[in-house]
Amino acid sequence: MSSILVVDDSKVMRDMVVACLRGIPGVEFAHASSGLEAIERLSLAKFELMVLDLNMPDIGGLEVLEFVRGQDLLSKLPILVVTTRGDEASRAHVLAAGASGFLAKPFTPDAIIAEVEALLLRGTGPAS
Amino acid sequence: MSEGADLTEFVAAYLVETEEHLGVANSQLLAIEASLRKGESNPRALRETFRALHTIKGLSSMVGVEPVVEIAHRMETFLRDFDREGSPLPTRAVDVLLRGVRAIGQRIASLGSGTAVAPPPQELITEFDTLGAPLPQDQKPLLDLDLEPELLAKLAPFELAQLRTASEKACRALRVDFLPSPARAAEGFTINSVRERLAGLGEVVKALPLAVPVSTEAPGGLAFALLLVSDAADDVIAQAVGIAPNAVKSLLARSLAVGVDPSERALPPELVEDERPGPRQAVVRVDVRRLDDAMERLSALIVTRFRLARAIAELGADGADTRAIQQVMSDSARELRDLRAAIVAVRMVPVAELLERIPLLVRGLCRHTERAVKLELEAGNAELDKAVSERLFPVIVHLVRNAVDHAIESPDERVRRGKPREGLLRVSCSSRSNTRLELSISDDGRGIDREAVARKAGRPTPASDQALLDLLCIPGLSTRSTVTTTSGRGMGMEIVKRIVIDDLGGELELVSTFGVGTRFLLRVPLTISIVDAFSFECEGQRFVVPVSTVEEIVEIDAALVSYSPMPRGDQPRVGIIARRGKAIPLLMLSELFQLGPPRSVTAKAIVVRRAGQPLAFGVDRMLGQQEVVIRPIDDALIRSPGVTGATDLGDGKPTLVLDLSQIGAAYAALEVAAAE
Repeated sequence: MSSILVVDDSKVMRDMVVACLRGIPGVEFAHASSGLEAIERLSLAKFELMVLDLNMPDIGGLEVLEFVRGQDLLSKLPILVVTTRGDEASRAHVLAAGASGFLAKPFTPDAIIAEVEALLLRGTGPAS
Repeated sequence: MSEGADLTEFVAAYLVETEEHLGVANSQLLAIEASLRKGESNPRALRETFRALHTIKGLSSMVGVEPVVEIAHRMETFLRDFDREGSPLPTRAVDVLLRGVRAIGQRIASLGSGTAVAPPPQELITEFDTLGAPLPQDQKPLLDLDLEPELLAKLAPFELAQLRTASEKACRALRVDFLPSPARAAEGFTINSVRERLAGLGEVVKALPLAVPVSTEAPGGLAFALLLVSDAADDVIAQAVGIAPNAVKSLLARSLAVGVDPSERALPPELVEDERPGPRQAVVRVDVRRLDDAMERLSALIVTRFRLARAIAELGADGADTRAIQQVMSDSARELRDLRAAIVAVRMVPVAELLERIPLLVRGLCRHTERAVKLELEAGNAELDKAVSERLFPVIVHLVRNAVDHAIESPDERVRRGKPREGLLRVSCSSRSNTRLELSISDDGRGIDREAVARKAGRPTPASDQALLDLLCIPGLSTRSTVTTTSGRGMGMEIVKRIVIDDLGGELELVSTFGVGTRFLLRVPLTISIVDAFSFECEGQRFVVPVSTVEEIVEIDAALVSYSPMPRGDQPRVGIIARRGKAIPLLMLSELFQLGPPRSVTAKAIVVRRAGQPLAFGVDRMLGQQEVVIRPIDDALIRSPGVTGATDLGDGKPTLVLDLSQIGAAYAALEVAAAE
């Protein structure tokens, strides 16, 4: 069973992500509604993948990325960043900060499934 | 498309969540405006507004509401520049932003009601270009904070300023570190719960993750540094985080110099406990129809219980020992009552939520009328049935409009009369009992001119406030001869009366002193029951019947109705009509209620089921279908089987709500007729 941590302060958005990914065999989901909660969950349980939003209260997704990549235990965690800022500069910025994948909102169910399946297969950290 | 991943199913949740974000944007923009008036910037409110819009944009793009995406995007880019610089917004911008929020709200509402979503308002979008750019702010070095450089680097200028100026507000800037672990989580200490508890004691300016060496206390190699300003004592803060009091660190050398002895500040723990708001409860928003559905199912359960009770009584009459079952039955009655109360409680919404939109309304009214008004809202913890709250809102809006538009004088006039420049408008409420809510809307304006009202109505001058209120509620009366843009001719006082008294079964009271002010007092029931109902007419009298009890409405061809040969005693005639090849009994309601002579022509019949058998009631004509509020009939003289309650169809007269299958039960002859 692969555990996926879905991080977004919008419950509707988390539910949408889970609805899209539910069909992938052998996955289970945990939710976090803030950047700090995401970091707390990652430090206490093992996850195979994190789907991360950038716009959040307390600390944003970029800060979460930066922190997680600085931790030895988490440096290899596949992280898919999902954001409304879909331009090339943002993509480059997010990937440079250590994201494994990048998906702009709005996305289709097929697009996020493809990203997640690829990351789960590859199973390692930042995009090369 | 993959199975089960159709995002359109999220539209309902989208509507609810975006409404929340729009509410945040509105209230934060008003907070920014209030700060600007005091000559201060409010970077935190600015950031919250930005975030709300950004979330709306993201969600709207998923749901495919392009016009909303475009408006939110423009507003967000505008705000981002100011957020980055930490620079105050131009005053005019707040207004444009509020209009943007309204434009988004209208488009989301269209989506909700299934009508076409209007394109983005181009004028509004281009207006943002005219608002100017942020001025670069002086960034003073702040070296007096006792923080590691890597944490210091993560703080925005306004956050640094907030920590640094804490002592000016008799608060202290503090730091506590929280180490999450499964053991702490089991005791209820997680980063979310800790942050919420601290938010009740002060303001958490920033929370940051820190990597620490892995140990038993920090199995995840993680700590959170929480930076806050608070006037609470160290031990209270320590308790909220679950750490030792000496682990609460001061961030400013200066604040120690202020010389506050923490032990002097410390209150006995039990007092502190009482003042502290509990951690925010998780909230679920539910469609009211689902609750109505639950209530309907509960009603079915109650009916089943009655049948069970009857069956047990029959057993007892046959000589069986039913004592043990009786005990179970009385437990079940109590549980059913509790369950009903629990469902009713779910329908309650805080009155504070109802009043949330009033500040925005008053602000707009003040602008149009050039009035200066200070608004005081006081809702306390009062709660109200969602259905009552929805009906009451237009009444509050009307009374608030009247107060600003007609009652409160212009600032100059007020000064001339020796009143404060700013008028005072107070909306407050309290639960007077378990069943009623009292809501008061008062102003210190000019009061109502009785003589003018009397002249206008062509009646003698009212002697009492009650008589004045009656006069004001005469349809079509408006004390202003001109139509104003804010109040218009809109909804008159007669509608207020109709909603409060006729619809909700509440009371309305007025106290007005000429030159001094006016106060409206509304007492309304906390809950009401609402059903979707058909209305119909018999011999000129109107009745309603709940849609859920009706199986079908059929046309009757008078020539094809045959009647049972001989009605017995006071039994009414029973007709037989054919419905899909089966004969079903037909009763004329006008005969049952002795409204007039038996009629041979009846246009329609309402078919219900009684004990599984169809049964038709002839009526003169159907009037329509609408939601009605059912008020119980408390008068024992009027109460009668088959009458569930009374309602008002908008004509001010009570209309009976019928339970036709119960009426059918009263006429045993029917079954005989059906068998023939």
